[in-house]
Amino acid sequence: MKRNVAIVGGGQTYHAARRHDVDQVEMVNEAVRRALDDAGMTIDEIDTVFLGNMEFFEGVHMTDCWLVHGTGAYGKPGLKITTGGTVGATTVCVGAHHIASGLFDKALCIGFEKQEEGDTGAILSGVAHPLWGRSLAGAAVGYFATMGSSYMATWGATEEHSAMVAVKARQNARKNPYAHLKLDITIEDALNSRMLSYPIRMLDMCPASNGACAMVLADEKTAKKRCKKPVWIRAMDTAHNEQFELDWRFVDTKRPIFSKVCAARMYKKLGVKKPAEYFDVFEVYEPATWAELIWYEDLGLCGPGEGFRLVEKGMTNIDGPIPVNPSGGVLSTNCIGASAMLRVWEAALQIRGDAGGHQVPKDVRRALTTGYGGTNWTVMTALSKTLDD
Amino acid sequence: MEEIKHYEPFEVDQHLTANSRYYAGRMGSRFYVALRDQQKILGAKCPKCNKVLWPPRSTCQVCFSELTETVEIGPLGTVETFTVVTYNEPVQPRKAPFVYAVIKLDGADTGMAHFLDEVDLDEVHIGMRVRPVFARDRKANILDIQYFKPL
Amino acid sequence: MVQKEQEWISIPMTVDVPYRFAAGQYLTKYLVEMRDNGKIFAVKCPRCKRVQLPPRIVCAECHVKNEEWVELAQEGTLVAFTIMYLPLTDPTTGKPHEPPFVYGSVRLDGATSVLDHFVNVEPDMEKVWVGMRMRLVLRPKEQRTGDLSDILYYEPLPGQVRPK
Repeated sequence: MKRNVAIVGGGQTYHAARRHDVDQVEMVNEAVRRALDDAGMTIDEIDTVFLGNMEFFEGVHMTDCWLVHGTGAYGKPGLKITTGGTVGATTVCVGAHHIASGLFDKALCIGFEKQEEGDTGAILSGVAHPLWGRSLAGAAVGYFATMGSSYMATWGATEEHSAMVAVKARQNARKNPYAHLKLDITIEDALNSRMLSYPIRMLDMCPASNGACAMVLADEKTAKKRCKKPVWIRAMDTAHNEQFELDWRFVDTKRPIFSKVCAARMYKKLGVKKPAEYFDVFEVYEPATWAELIWYEDLGLCGPGEGFRLVEKGMTNIDGPIPVNPSGGVLSTNCIGASAMLRVWEAALQIRGDAGGHQVPKDVRRALTTGYGGTNWTVMTALSKTLDD
Repeated sequence: MEEIKHYEPFEVDQHLTANSRYYAGRMGSRFYVALRDQQKILGAKCPKCNKVLWPPRSTCQVCFSELTETVEIGPLGTVETFTVVTYNEPVQPRKAPFVYAVIKLDGADTGMAHFLDEVDLDEVHIGMRVRPVFARDRKANILDIQYFKPL
Repeated sequence: MVQKEQEWISIPMTVDVPYRFAAGQYLTKYLVEMRDNGKIFAVKCPRCKRVQLPPRIVCAECHVKNEEWVELAQEGTLVAFTIMYLPLTDPTTGKPHEPPFVYGSVRLDGATSVLDHFVNVEPDMEKVWVGMRMRLVLRPKEQRTGDLSDILYYEPLPGQVRPK
């Protein structure tokens, strides 16, 4: 990058299925004020504002324009980002690019979704091709269900393994005061929860949440002057899949799919040989349990077909050697426009040592986060504690 | 490609239907409850800018202050600008001709867009003094003010 | 002032968006051939040789124009599936598919891509498995409109036994 970029502040709302007490502006403003407080900045110091949110998921368009007083973007340059599930990570990426380029010194990045207000299923069906699958649109659950059936048939995993991921996420969420589904559940509870779409049960899926996250990014000079614990963005990358080729469901595919391609480029940039050792914590975008197991494999934390063994051995627990989603992840909180940003922000909190109850019990110097969405694409972000890490 | 010539262009008509429910939040709820129950119109006061904003909001976009105070504005106001709509389109709430006006209510610093009725189309002018006509059956939405009309 | 409990106001809205969608040259050929002649066509990339469904003008991996048309067999292998227990609304008609039903990805013989559709089999884990051989069933010609719903479903080829 032309200039180093740091995360110098951030904040989030609590996440819940109901937020009748606030309109979208008021909810977003909660996260913005927390982020500015955390950064020790006023809105006047912010050069530019980027807002991430899914178009029409709340039944409204152009939220960048009409939330302008709550976001603090009034009179400032900025952009609206709408890239599906990755939107929050893309928004951070866009903010970081603008600072790295030298165009701005301080950027405010915001992601939000007020899912209860809209018709996510109907609007999501608009992602499907009008003549090639829209009439069959099976919602996200159908996609992840076929992924799960393929994973089990190919590698010999069982429903117990997905249940382990479901339990890990919700038990971690109980340590995170902002998380939506703080459930004290067991593997048995997960296995007995209602079948939605075999092999996906209710507790295998993410909730529909309302919430917002905001982050302040700054250039190196500003970060060193203004911030006690800057977290450095060391690498970012984005990779798409081909439309119609939903390879993530065929877990033994040899084709260069988005997740593996993106990870390989990230590791090359950073000189990573053993990602499970290089990074101290991971925050991945897992709307369903099976997706987390596939992330383990695609990120190279284990070999192909070994993802379910990692969770079986507790390797990815909050106190395990490869902690994944100590925050509770998307399985516990999914306010779509904010979800991928929460991965980055939660990873930054881990590096700062400010994650509180869900802080992983070891020295955290490096973290990797992923976003996931659209017609299969990802945005990855690697963070570090110092520029020497 | 040669063979493509054999196929007529293929198009389909479809539609997407989406339901949503917008929550008015802290300030919005205060505004609509006052309008429905008391026929009062509220604005939000920014003490720092010394402005009264409509629609009421929780943050002043100019100084970023958190706003908590509402003040009653109107009910009388002045036409700031207007248009006479003379064509019909499905998305329009009324049949043409009708008047859209931006009305600055007394005590407010920003305008409200609404209908202007019971008015001679040739008489509408900027600076016209108007008052609201409230709906009898009010449901906490902006049509609890049915329209404005000249004094 | 005595504050009575706050009432939270909300307003329901329904938006109906009509649109006209043009299939384009490649998909038009696919849809018209399926509708009029009951044939399934794919395109083959001249470089990587992937046989792609639905047909598209450019191979995304190789960035070259796809020009070779391949008629596919109407039998294939089930590579992934789900038994859906949620009522699923067809967003183009508003009508629900009544659960439970089986929905799967089938790789037709000769194709690289898969084609997703309903599977006409009992929603029972013992009766459906990855690797099952399938046959594509089209609607009768007079009912076909040039849409993926011209395919009625896949059905298993007879005489198959679930592998241990």
